[in-house]
Amino acid sequence: MSAVVDHCINVESKLGVPTVPLIISEFHDQVKLHRKKKGMPGLRVTYLISPVWGKTAKRLRNEIVAKSPVSETMIMQEIVGNLTKPLTAEEKKMGTIEQSAGPERFTDTPDNLRQYFMDNRMTDYLPIILPTEEKVAEMLKGTSHHPDEVVGKMAAHTQFPGAGMEIFEHWSYTVKTVAINAVMAGMKPEYLPVLLAVASTGKEGLSVSDNSFTEMLVINGPIRDEIKLNYGIGAMGPFSQANSTIGRAWNLLSLNAGNCGRVGTTYMGVVGNPMNWNNIVIAENEEDSPWQPFHVRHGYKPTDNVVSLFEGWGIISAKNSKFSKWTREPDFPGAIKRILIDQDMLFGATAVLSPVVAHFVKEAGFDSVDKFTIWIMKPEEGQWPDFRSIRDINIIITGGSNNNYWSYGGMRYFQSVLIDKWR
Amino acid sequence: MKWHICVSLIAMLCLALFYNLPIRNNQAQAQGKAGEEKITVLSPMGIPPAIRLKTMAPRLDTLDGKTVYLVDVGYVGTDILLKEVEDWFKANMPTVNIVYRRKFGFFTSEDPFLWREIKEKGHAMVMGVGH
Repeated sequence: MSAVVDHCINVESKLGVPTVPLIISEFHDQVKLHRKKKGMPGLRVTYLISPVWGKTAKRLRNEIVAKSPVSETMIMQEIVGNLTKPLTAEEKKMGTIEQSAGPERFTDTPDNLRQYFMDNRMTDYLPIILPTEEKVAEMLKGTSHHPDEVVGKMAAHTQFPGAGMEIFEHWSYTVKTVAINAVMAGMKPEYLPVLLAVASTGKEGLSVSDNSFTEMLVINGPIRDEIKLNYGIGAMGPFSQANSTIGRAWNLLSLNAGNCGRVGTTYMGVVGNPMNWNNIVIAENEEDSPWQPFHVRHGYKPTDNVVSLFEGWGIISAKNSKFSKWTREPDFPGAIKRILIDQDMLFGATAVLSPVVAHFVKEAGFDSVDKFTIWIMKPEEGQWPDFRSIRDINIIITGGSNNNYWSYGGMRYFQSVLIDKWR
Repeated sequence: MKWHICVSLIAMLCLALFYNLPIRNNQAQAQGKAGEEKITVLSPMGIPPAIRLKTMAPRLDTLDGKTVYLVDVGYVGTDILLKEVEDWFKANMPTVNIVYRRKFGFFTSEDPFLWREIKEKGHAMVMGVGH
């Protein structure tokens, strides 16, 4: 939706050519807000009956001579009218519109404040810790950075470098804003540098995409033990305060400081994703892994504290795959390869291996992750490779060694950032 | 006499109970009120940017004799839809010159060559499909 609106705004404002974007009707609210945010609230949009994808030519032929589900006027006549009816005074308006995200403080009873935060979609609808001045001051002890320092800016969609124009507006936020959201999520001050490092990337914790993406953090370095992240049994589950709250805080920050996750405007995930509540937070089990940790493989020192960001559809157990049978002599490298190459190349594939599975792979002759990844990528005789680069496949080690299980998903790696800079 | 003392004691006890109950109730209310005392919390919101309004292009007096570009952003099925739009123009407004183009790259990618072509040869653009 947004790309079509943005191209049309650029063509109108830069080339002086009138346009009509054709958008499916479900995006009406999003378009209304988006065209205003992009400086052309009067952009004349014609809405179509959704969806377009999957319909026959005959069906589309009938639909374009029907009434638009939004304007109730005939679609083709509306397109012609949108190109020929003179601009109104409202459409010719110029200038600047200042925006506000509301007051800096709220005063009421705790119950009313919690209700206010929920009613105004400032929470994920789970209970929050109310961010009083005292609690935020306590949280700010987790960093030496000034509360008013601008940490970054965030939009509902992060564009890959070179992928074209930025679509959504970027909201900016300070160290204090990050701390406020950290309080609400139930974080401890010692976790704050992790969240600040994540916030500094500007990567949203709630993607606008209709794919219903989730986000993922992989944390490496000594900080894992300092803040008691769980990387043993149940590593990806809610079994430590740090694992549970850091990903949630990222989401609250995205909702409030980045204006993400507004259903119908900055959130369009078709079926949603239960992992959106606190994302996927993985502390790598470096100690039990047979290979170099993820951050070291990406150029950092073992003693660096690093958080790495991923996005995709989520992580699920590999056990249910027909390639992952219980057998007396399991072929883990083969199963991992078969499952990973079945993933779509667009988002690549990430395998989350328990240490014991990783050791099986190493013992099969793969003494480094790179060696294993190159083998996975190598196509069968006469077939095309499934992935574009070695970077499309990621291997993470975490969890306990109490059984031979592992998980996987279409999660693409974005970037890694140092945590210590935010202490 | 004893009877009077007894009645007086009972009366005093009743009075004491009578006045004591509201006191206890007030205490409960006071505790409730204390729990509902107003507090001040900080807003978790970020700072939105200012919006600079952009100029809309002037509209055309008529489409007769004009060239309208139908630009396919690349979403699945758009080519089929825009072919139907083109056919509608041919059947209903044959004096309009329709040009179909598939924009280069991903949805968000710019296509400077196409923009230049539209600027030089086109009078209007219809782009689809936003999904």
